Amino acid sequence: MASQATTAARTSGVRRLAGALHRRPRLRLALLLTAPLLWLIVLYLGSLAVLFASAFWTTDSFTSQVVKVWSTDNFHQLVTTPVFREVIVRSVGVALAVTVLCALIAFPVAFYTARVAPPRRRPLLVVAILTPLWASYLVKVYAWRLILSRGGLADWLLAPLGLGGPGFGLPATVLTLTYLWLPYMILPIHTALEQLPAQLLDASADLGARAGRTFRSVVLPMVLPSVAAGSVFTFSLSLGDYITVQIVGGKTQLIGNLVYSNIELNLPMAAALGTVPVLVIVLYLLAIRRTGALSSL
Amino acid sequence: MHLTRSARIALRIGAGLGFAVIYVPLLLVLVNSLNPDRSASWPPPGLTGRWWSAALHNSGARHALWVSVKAGLGATAIALVLGTLIAFAVARHRFFGRGTVSFVVVLPIALPGIVTGIALNSAFGTVLQPLGVGLGLFTVIVGHATFCVVVVFNNVVARLRRTTGSYEEAAMDLGATTFRAFLDVTFPLVRSALLAGALLSFALSFDEIVVTTFTAGPGIETLPIWIFGNMTRPQQAPVVNVVAAVLVLLSVVPIYLAQRLSADTATSSRV
Repeated sequence: MASQATTAARTSGVRRLAGALHRRPRLRLALLLTAPLLWLIVLYLGSLAVLFASAFWTTDSFTSQVVKVWSTDNFHQLVTTPVFREVIVRSVGVALAVTVLCALIAFPVAFYTARVAPPRRRPLLVVAILTPLWASYLVKVYAWRLILSRGGLADWLLAPLGLGGPGFGLPATVLTLTYLWLPYMILPIHTALEQLPAQLLDASADLGARAGRTFRSVVLPMVLPSVAAGSVFTFSLSLGDYITVQIVGGKTQLIGNLVYSNIELNLPMAAALGTVPVLVIVLYLLAIRRTGALSSL
Repeated sequence: MHLTRSARIALRIGAGLGFAVIYVPLLLVLVNSLNPDRSASWPPPGLTGRWWSAALHNSGARHALWVSVKAGLGATAIALVLGTLIAFAVARHRFFGRGTVSFVVVLPIALPGIVTGIALNSAFGTVLQPLGVGLGLFTVIVGHATFCVVVVFNNVVARLRRTTGSYEEAAMDLGATTFRAFLDVTFPLVRSALLAGALLSFALSFDEIVVTTFTAGPGIETLPIWIFGNMTRPQQAPVVNVVAAVLVLLSVVPIYLAQRLSADTATSSRV
């Protein structure tokens, strides 16, 4: 008897709560958003804000203690020190080279999977492009370390031509990063090519354009936003990377390595260096947004 | 576009080369785990299975695998809760700053890992250390969860946008409470999106190295950290080779699961 009474009481309590929630959408919204926003804004954005504020602090060169006095010394150093400038230019160059290489390799692959391959086989090909994305990042870089090491696959393949592999260094870094982010470029181009209306291509041919002309005047302009969308990944993922360059880059230094090497002794400098890739990526995103590519992400 | 025969053949060769470039490195990792030699010279002098049994008994690798699984499960659990909450707020409510919320969710994965890593590292240092809490597995889970939220959010919000709220309204017209309607109507609708999000979230966490480097306490070694630390040690090379090969083989599992979870949710939104 008593248990029945408590069950009934509990049920009516649940009902009342449900009713209260139903009548107050604002309360519902608050309950939904409080926990995740506390996490993302207080924990994440808060940490980021403190980090970027600390870029304006300095480090006492004797004690390695952070001195919390506002100064733009770090940014001044960033612009005037030749090593920093060199590394920043090199990092942006690597990110651009990786992006261009990815686009050049991705285009024929995507064109084949989207328009040349038999339609029945296309879904399987898409899976084949996706599969490497699930393989561990580190394992893929390690694979290239194996390929490029002395006496490895690259040396063996190029030996008949009287050449050697590139070894570890800047070219190896660009090559490995291209390999890592290639699927991110193939997929959007594949999707764009797949959705290209066949009538447009027919119309272009009817008007007397050959394949090359149709490609330049019809296909390319329609696929370019997707290339831009893919480039957001290839560019920003390359720009922030410092692990790959440690594994296959030999002595090559990129921004990430400079940030990493400054963390222990000069956190404000590391923070200032860390703002560079963030700033470049934001500028890149703003430039890309003008092409309308972000909506197709 | 009518392609000439030679253009078709050129494209076929180009695509073939592209797929070869994608898969040869992965196959090389598999073959190399059977290489009896400690160096990575090609071709291997023979094949052996003895490194596989050596790796099976390697306590460092096994321990690291276990830490990675714990971190992945923890981060996924948090990401599922937070990502789903935001997805419901964004998809079912209109409010000031809705666009900003979707932007903030993406930020942890859009910014370079090293920036997220050192930001969290110094925040943990200043907030947690005075409380007597040091870096450990817990801080790794917090760091991973921060960038895993976005994949759960993406999957769930995409599903919610395609299903209107009218099902829930119908359930409530029939007398169901808000909770009842959620359990019996909404949850079954988003279940496969949740699974896809969880799968992606676990994979992201399992693969993460940069944020882990900055949030892991002493003695906390995930599998990527272990691989990175042992990669350049010639003595450990054979075991690293086997671990790498195992990870390549394991990457088929999520692909299989994602395909079963229906192509539209899992495959299209890795990021």
